[in-house]
Amino acid sequence: MKKFEEISRLGASDLERISLDEKIPVPEELSGRVQDALNGLEESKGTGSRPGSAGSRFTRRILPAVSIAAALAAIVAIGLNRNPEPEDTFDDPYQAYAQVEAVFAKISGTVAYGAGKIEDAETRIDKISYWK
Amino acid sequence: MKKFYILALMLLASVSALAQNGRSLYNKYSDLPDVEAVYISPAMFRLIGKIPDVELQDGSVNFGPIIKSLSGLYILNIPKSEAAAQLADEVNRFVTKGHYELLMEAKDNGEVMRMYTAGDDKIVNSFIMLSHDASETSFICLDGAMPREQLEALITDAAKD
Repeated sequence: MKKFEEISRLGASDLERISLDEKIPVPEELSGRVQDALNGLEESKGTGSRPGSAGSRFTRRILPAVSIAAALAAIVAIGLNRNPEPEDTFDDPYQAYAQVEAVFAKISGTVAYGAGKIEDAETRIDKISYWK
Repeated sequence: MKKFYILALMLLASVSALAQNGRSLYNKYSDLPDVEAVYISPAMFRLIGKIPDVELQDGSVNFGPIIKSLSGLYILNIPKSEAAAQLADEVNRFVTKGHYELLMEAKDNGEVMRMYTAGDDKIVNSFIMLSHDASETSFICLDGAMPREQLEALITDAAKD
């Protein structure tokens, strides 16, 4: 196999002759590697970096991850911004406590009312059972 | 890439779910005209928690332990209007879609009161009470990590008083 320095010294006619020589085996993976190199070249046109350079490799590997992270951050930020924390109604903890107490009184009142209704219903059921 | 789209959709769905809670309802309705709104923040609950326990005692009921476990209180009272009906609809929708279970329902002369809790056997993460009658709709939402046993004891003890 020829080394890179030897190939670089060959002229265009020599290269053409060698490329037409079917006796020389062509590595199977060559076409894939050429395609990769072309793809890299296309990408580098978009990003402005040279194909195969550290910048190009970094861009290819990191850019999708960065875009995904940015998209996720945007989704979370939209969610949080839509629901900001309201302003406290009270400045004084004693007033706030009085409000909490009133809330529990209201909840308890409702529960007591419900329990009273159940008791009434049970009494009526007992009376019906007694007269049957 | 497909995985990313699925993840993004799941995140969007969870963001939409996040939008449906006591805070979002408070933010939506509290600034409307004639609406009575009260919000107590986690910071204020921490301040209330510093009030001596003796002062948090009301008769046989001690509010101290529950208050220390609360992280938010949202109250909305809306006089009968389109907004009131919409609030009741929204609450019913989000308790049905969320992890809430009906704790109690009472109906009397057109007044309907419902209580819901979300959490597990030991901890209640959210408590909601919705009542509406011919004149107004009231919404109360308590958020926190309330020990279920203590919350139930507190409500029943207060009811006895």
